[in-house]
Amino acid sequence: MKSTALLRLESLLQEKRFGETVTRSWLPEPGVSAISSGVTVVDRALGGGWRRGEVSELVGARSSGRTSVLLSTLAQATSHGEVVGLVDAVDRFDPVSAAAAGVDLDRVLWVRGPCLTVESARSDRLTEAVHRGLRALDLIVRAGGFAVAALDVADVPSRYLRALPWTTWLRLAHANEGRDTVCLLVGEAPMGKSARGTSIRLDASPQLHQWTGSSPQSRRFAGLEITVSAGTSHPAPRTSHVAHHDLLSRR
Amino acid sequence: MICCLVAESSTAGTPAVLEAVARACSPRVATYGADAVLFDAGGLGGLFGTPEALALDVQRLAAERDVAVRVAVAVTSTAAWILAHARPGVTVAVHRETDALATLPLAALAMLPEMALAPDAPLRRRRSARARHFRMAPGPDADRSSNVEVRTSKLAIAIIERWGLHTLGELARVPRADLHARLGPIGVRLHQAACGEDATPFVPVEETIRWVERVECEWPIEGLEPLSFVLARICEPLSARLEHADRGAVEVTTRLWLVTRDVHVRTLHLPAPMRDARGLRTLVLLDLESHPPGAGIDVVEVELDVAPGRIVHGSLLARPVPESDQIATLTARLGALMGETRIGAPVLVDTHDERQCAMKRFSPTEPRNPRTSEPRNPGTPEPAGVGALRRFRLPIAARVVVEHHTPVRVMPSARGIPGGAVVACAGPWRSSGYWWALDRSAWDRDEWDVELADGGVYRVARDRTAGGWVIEGAID
Repeated sequence: MKSTALLRLESLLQEKRFGETVTRSWLPEPGVSAISSGVTVVDRALGGGWRRGEVSELVGARSSGRTSVLLSTLAQATSHGEVVGLVDAVDRFDPVSAAAAGVDLDRVLWVRGPCLTVESARSDRLTEAVHRGLRALDLIVRAGGFAVAALDVADVPSRYLRALPWTTWLRLAHANEGRDTVCLLVGEAPMGKSARGTSIRLDASPQLHQWTGSSPQSRRFAGLEITVSAGTSHPAPRTSHVAHHDLLSRR
Repeated sequence: MICCLVAESSTAGTPAVLEAVARACSPRVATYGADAVLFDAGGLGGLFGTPEALALDVQRLAAERDVAVRVAVAVTSTAAWILAHARPGVTVAVHRETDALATLPLAALAMLPEMALAPDAPLRRRRSARARHFRMAPGPDADRSSNVEVRTSKLAIAIIERWGLHTLGELARVPRADLHARLGPIGVRLHQAACGEDATPFVPVEETIRWVERVECEWPIEGLEPLSFVLARICEPLSARLEHADRGAVEVTTRLWLVTRDVHVRTLHLPAPMRDARGLRTLVLLDLESHPPGAGIDVVEVELDVAPGRIVHGSLLARPVPESDQIATLTARLGALMGETRIGAPVLVDTHDERQCAMKRFSPTEPRNPRTSEPRNPGTPEPAGVGALRRFRLPIAARVVVEHHTPVRVMPSARGIPGGAVVACAGPWRSSGYWWALDRSAWDRDEWDVELADGGVYRVARDRTAGGWVIEGAID
């Protein structure tokens, strides 16, 4: 139940024709559907989970836990009998890790991009891979019926994504508006450039990587501690929530 | 009331002619073998008049198609069948079946459809050690299996003739229970036939319909865009017909006659029956986009293989998953964009080599009960997909400095990964397999998880055979 002050504030903003952009409450309203990420601290930062009908982002540097959170989100969705679509722009999805994370692989539509060594690939091939990935994501979103439609461009340098016209993301947000799909972009840096949706930034500094054991033979990678920052999908995300969380290793 | 047509002489085209004559009179038709057709003549009085007039009209219709037929009309299928086979010309025995059948010899029963079409099994009879001849009645020491021994109509008719019965009328007067005691179910069936009774109801067979539409173009079509308009003209009436008949297409065959006189044929197998015109057109177009014809198109033909329509029952408790036809259209679009082999559901391969992966067709049609989410104990770790690997399908070669059997420095060949000193590492995990194979599928390797100075955690592996190091992926 919204407070009277909040209702009055929203009505005032709607009178000023700001209704479509800024009146959305930060926390999900009762009845608005969301998909849990499966990670408590991320859910808390999101205010309950990834909101359906929005284009959200999951950004961070390499080894910051982006893929773990993505797989956890897919696992949550598939465990409830829903189907998900994953556009793997440069073919880096590992089904073994996904199965270990609890993803029901039968309910994952895996769209594999070209098999590229991103680290040494030509720029035109990377650009083509990103464009195709975006078109594939758009097709999945427009098809409807998918709980999560994710585009994994985590290994693509951010300059290729910055080169895309800003209308790309607006068009994507417009296509997903009113649908029951969480459109999730996984990348290195914020890319949405839209006032809608939520951007989750993960930071895992080297000091937070956890190893157990004394000798290399007995040691194991125990996980990483992440820092979660939530904001809008704007290039300069407003930090609204910072929390630490341990992601335990598989081994 | 049933009418039976039997061809006097059978040729290759006779079955089609008989069926056409029957379907010209009635929609309820059943075909038996190559030379006989039954149709339901009930309610045709307004069109043909009396049963005699109907029979004569049927005979005339067949004669116009150059096929001489025997026609019999009776209340039951069995009576009509026996009379048409036993008597030439036209026989009408409506409500007089028993009298009409009474004078026929017992051999007429061998023409029954279930008898005539049964394989002509050899007259083998399992004899007991004590009984070496046919018995008119089971002896005091006969076991119960003696009834089962009579399995063919010829054998049963031979037994009945030994009893001194020669016509169907004489057989009809024998108590049915006694026949069952001596001959079993086949005796009952023969008695029913002698009385003109049916053992099973009349089951009509639907007419075989070709679901095909064809457009001949005045000018050759070049390109897929004009073809889409032609396909729309073809798919819309097909869709309407499917809707009317409550059918869905499960296979779409597109035939394009080209100006080079070649025929370009494409067949699409649909995962579920579809009847949406736009969906069908899109699928055909996407398929032709990836397999285009080599020249201009003169004639376009689309033929469907159909199946009964689907009944979809949604759940009130789970969110609906995409329909099969939606998934088919989506995967076709994605296949045209990314390549057909790049779309599907991931599959785990039964191997210890974790680099292997496979795909299968994405078809999440099986409804699955959602797992109930249980409140998590705050003290227990979350079952998140942790330590997930981002696998480099093309491993990046690297030079690794090893001290005391431990990697201390990694220098990748790709510029995108900053190499450097190893801050922490774990391993090795040794795995090997296919050492017995003669090809290059064998592997023998040590894997390490290493954390570099830049903060990245990578999985590196050393091939124990060749000695080279590669970076297999990043842990994220």
